[in-house]
Amino acid sequence: MGILVTFQAVVALAIWWMSPLRLLPRPDEVARAFRTLWMQEGLGRELWASFSTNLEALGIAMAISLALSYLTVLPFFRPIAAAVSKGRFLAFIGFPLLFTLMFANPHWIKVALLVLAMTVFFVTSMASVILEIPRERLEHARTLRMGEWRVVGEVVVLGTADRALEVTRQNAAIGWMMLTMVEGFYRGEGGVGALLLNQNKHFLLAGVFAIQLTILTVGLLQDYGLGVLGRTLFPWAGLTVERR
Amino acid sequence: MTTPATAATAAGIAGEPAAYELRSTLLAARGVSLSLGGAPILRGVDLEVRDVVRPGVCTGQVVALLGPSGVGKTTLFRVLAGLQRPDAGTVLIGNPGVPVERGMVGVVAQNYPLFAHRSVLGNLVVAGRRAGQSRAAARERALEMLRRFDLIDRAGLYPAQLSGGQRQRVAIAQQFMCSEHFLLLDEPFSGLDPIAVEKVAAMLVEVANLDELNTIIVVTHDIAAALEVADTVWLLGRDRDAAGAPIPGARIQGTYDLMACGLAWHQGIACSPRLLEMAAEIRSRFGKL
Repeated sequence: MGILVTFQAVVALAIWWMSPLRLLPRPDEVARAFRTLWMQEGLGRELWASFSTNLEALGIAMAISLALSYLTVLPFFRPIAAAVSKGRFLAFIGFPLLFTLMFANPHWIKVALLVLAMTVFFVTSMASVILEIPRERLEHARTLRMGEWRVVGEVVVLGTADRALEVTRQNAAIGWMMLTMVEGFYRGEGGVGALLLNQNKHFLLAGVFAIQLTILTVGLLQDYGLGVLGRTLFPWAGLTVERR
Repeated sequence: MTTPATAATAAGIAGEPAAYELRSTLLAARGVSLSLGGAPILRGVDLEVRDVVRPGVCTGQVVALLGPSGVGKTTLFRVLAGLQRPDAGTVLIGNPGVPVERGMVGVVAQNYPLFAHRSVLGNLVVAGRRAGQSRAAARERALEMLRRFDLIDRAGLYPAQLSGGQRQRVAIAQQFMCSEHFLLLDEPFSGLDPIAVEKVAAMLVEVANLDELNTIIVVTHDIAAALEVADTVWLLGRDRDAAGAPIPGARIQGTYDLMACGLAWHQGIACSPRLLEMAAEIRSRFGKL
């Protein structure tokens, strides 16, 4: 698989390098733009600011979503989780003004927007994982003299921990996608989103490509890290999967 | 509480009843009725398992609940396990009998559920902990169980790494960690080839005979396997009205006492003419249940 991925990456790079389409910046131009952004415009600092904001929002979204999803074992919380899940259809652009009125600190406005965006997808995925737990798995725990909360702990929380991490992994990616947009709303706080919009504004396509590739690299490393964490914490999770 | 029953002379020869007596009641269902979605499934089910005692031999009880598909076997299984409350009637466990609660009877469902996120040893330890044992005691007992079930070299594996047979044995061991003497198995012979059926049957008899009070109830529609493994067979089915149409709600239509017929506790009994005759009789009744 490693050889296949390397081969495909090399082919993609070669096509890019030899592309007759002059609209696209060439790899060497992107490399020079990256160097300028890193040395003169603080890309590293902005990247860290964005990374930590994304992580903060992911942590809060994860806590809210997991709590709400686990609580769907109680009928009272199911309509609430369903309502939160329907939030996926709401226009994201309608919330910055509301959150600006609610929070004075621009950082918290960004975090709140990200938490909202991630939570609606997180709850949808996680509640679905929990609802799909077959009755026999719950009854198996009950036959071992487990009370209802213990059944929730054993089957719902521990039994789906690997899936929870997988959902977190997907939402971390959604976070990066939303983050650059959110940072565009509040440029004073900085972040790669603000830097990207500045490059866009001045038609610096090589700079835009450099930032996009940087975000992609950080995102892939983060995804890989979470994958390694998952395989380390939940070695049993991949045992029934043929293609890993 | 001792009730002398059929007693005879020699043991070990098919066809001649071995000496035994029936003592106290270990499990009883009295007038169990249950409807699901308005449709009667069980109607006045009465059954009883008594402690079988054979001189000089540790003998547990193996009972088979036979019935055609869809007749209500799994529903009765759930009621006997305390997983479903009947609309009427009661299930009593032990002597003196106490109403069954979930956890009092070990249950091994058809696909042998285990906690996928725990190792084989972890699965047994968590069951032991729920039975009130300390962590150290549960671990010690779990290791003893794994040795007894010939699974000690699988202790560190996860359920997904086990074969079907190993998984079944772990599931049985896990239930015995928690529920002491009673074990219900739902369709343990389903999908197995004849050799595997023989192996499972031998294992169930071995497990039953580990303790005098061990009682295994096998729910199945496999007549031959049920007769191979059981000392008593219950036939679950529906009554018929005058026109021959089934009356909703199943109950025990017949009990076959293999001990009294001299067909219990014998190896290689499957080819016995009397057993084949009994199997044919049960098969002929299946269509009318």
